[in-house]
Amino acid sequence: MKVGFIGLGVMGRPMALHLQRAGHALFVWARRPETSEGLPATVCATPAELGRACEVVFTVITGSADVESVALGPAGLIEGMAPGSVLIDCSTIAPDSARRIAARLGENGVAMLDAPVSGGAQGAIDATLAIMAGGDVAVLERVRPLLECLGKRIVHVGPNGAGQVAKACNQMIMVAAIQAAAEAMRLAAAAGVDCGKVKAALAGGSAASKVLDVMGERMVQRDFTAGIEARLHHKDYGIVLEAARRSGVPMPLTAAVGQQLNALMAQGWGRDDTASLLRVLEVQ
Amino acid sequence: MRIAFLGLGIMGRPMALNLIKGGHAVTVWARRAESMAPLLNAGAIGAASPADAARGQELVISMVADAPDVAEVMRGVAAGAEPGLVAVDMSTIAPAAAKRIGEELAAAGVDFLDAPVSGGEVGAIAGTLSIMAGGSEAAFARARPAFECMGKNVVHVGASGAGQVTKAANQIVTGMGVLAVAEAYAFAAKNGVDCGKVREALLGGFAYSKILENHGQRMLDRNFKPGFKSWMHEKDLNIVMQTAHELGLCLPGSAATAQMFNAMVGSGLGEEDSIAVLKLLEKLSGQA
Repeated sequence: MKVGFIGLGVMGRPMALHLQRAGHALFVWARRPETSEGLPATVCATPAELGRACEVVFTVITGSADVESVALGPAGLIEGMAPGSVLIDCSTIAPDSARRIAARLGENGVAMLDAPVSGGAQGAIDATLAIMAGGDVAVLERVRPLLECLGKRIVHVGPNGAGQVAKACNQMIMVAAIQAAAEAMRLAAAAGVDCGKVKAALAGGSAASKVLDVMGERMVQRDFTAGIEARLHHKDYGIVLEAARRSGVPMPLTAAVGQQLNALMAQGWGRDDTASLLRVLEVQ
Repeated sequence: MRIAFLGLGIMGRPMALNLIKGGHAVTVWARRAESMAPLLNAGAIGAASPADAARGQELVISMVADAPDVAEVMRGVAAGAEPGLVAVDMSTIAPAAAKRIGEELAAAGVDFLDAPVSGGEVGAIAGTLSIMAGGSEAAFARARPAFECMGKNVVHVGASGAGQVTKAANQIVTGMGVLAVAEAYAFAAKNGVDCGKVREALLGGFAYSKILENHGQRMLDRNFKPGFKSWMHEKDLNIVMQTAHELGLCLPGSAATAQMFNAMVGSGLGEEDSIAVLKLLEKLSGQA
């Protein structure tokens, strides 16, 4: 199949390569052309040109505005994609934004799935991402073989936007868990107890989690190089809290964690791992 | 002075009336034409659009709901403006939005002030609003006679956006202040102590505040009629939290408070006064 890919960052690049290795013809467009260097792919001049060439297009880019501009803006996908083709947006953006893009593409007979992923750069490399999809279930079934090149767990959550809602829930739980791990590590250190031992002891019990395992280890090693850059979680928290506000649903813990992320950004650690929440607690 | 006033809601109507009382020649415009009637009866001239209202004026004032409304109204003003016009927005919007609107107007040769107010409907009627202005010295000097018809405490805080920054700071203090008084009452009540007596005792000490005095009394009377609607306070706290997010600013107290107001709107208390946060606390602690 002719598959387009836009967004060749730490997540997108390995994902695009999996699709190519599975035998699909890969077309790419990149805002910064150097990011597409060395890829076994046809490089397109604009998203519209890429859209014209492909049956399915993937996007993995940073913000709602970026996705909207690539999809709907001048020389955007909408100008090229043919009726019956499918846009699969794996970015993390606002649910409202995903619904808006889907509706606009739908007017042209182009289907869209919001299909954000969880699992980080390692999950993208190992093709073990969790994929949470929103959109028409028949469309999902059509492209499922492609998604199976990228991830193990593919769940149809509901109509357009539902995938992004699930991703927002994922981010809330995950970053709150990082904050909890950070506070536990901080308490242990302040009490003069070995953090590594505490983490090892907890791993067998009810507090065991993937976050404690991965981010907790980074905290023990004091290795704050990203994994996932904290600024992306900070961005996601903006989405989550805005969704909470729109729904009139109180989220006291999420709001408190959001403030710790604001402090992290103020300290200049946005490009480091979110395990840096530990360092925020150490600011005196 | 020839003044156009755009937006005649709960706040705008009495503010415009006070300008007429102050002897100014006032032209009015409102989205809903029927809102203009009381002003026309008081001697104002009606306009068909913001552009129409702005034509031939020395000063234009807007008092509308939110940033997109301000931007739209001011685009009209720019279209009708003659050189040297000063435009003042007295709505509460994000500082960044105010700056942007100021820049757009500057490009059209209009000098802009952001000048949000505090004091509520009561202050608007009595002409005792606090007015916090951001923008150029010259524009502030031009607008001052109008401000003095509407408010008592008129402060030029700084450059464009500074008025909205001040208003946001005001909403942090009042939002947390109302929640603090409500929590103190919930605490006293759950301990079986009379809230009225607690208020009386606290008024003499360091916990004294206008909010304890006024809002505290209304909580005792269980008078939840607005005043200041809690959905509007929620909107203002959202401006605070959005700005904090953009700047990388840690505001844990405001964040917790914003979630309480969020819950109020979600549970149908949005049209009541912000002191209805007391009801929410009581529900959460099984006191209702």
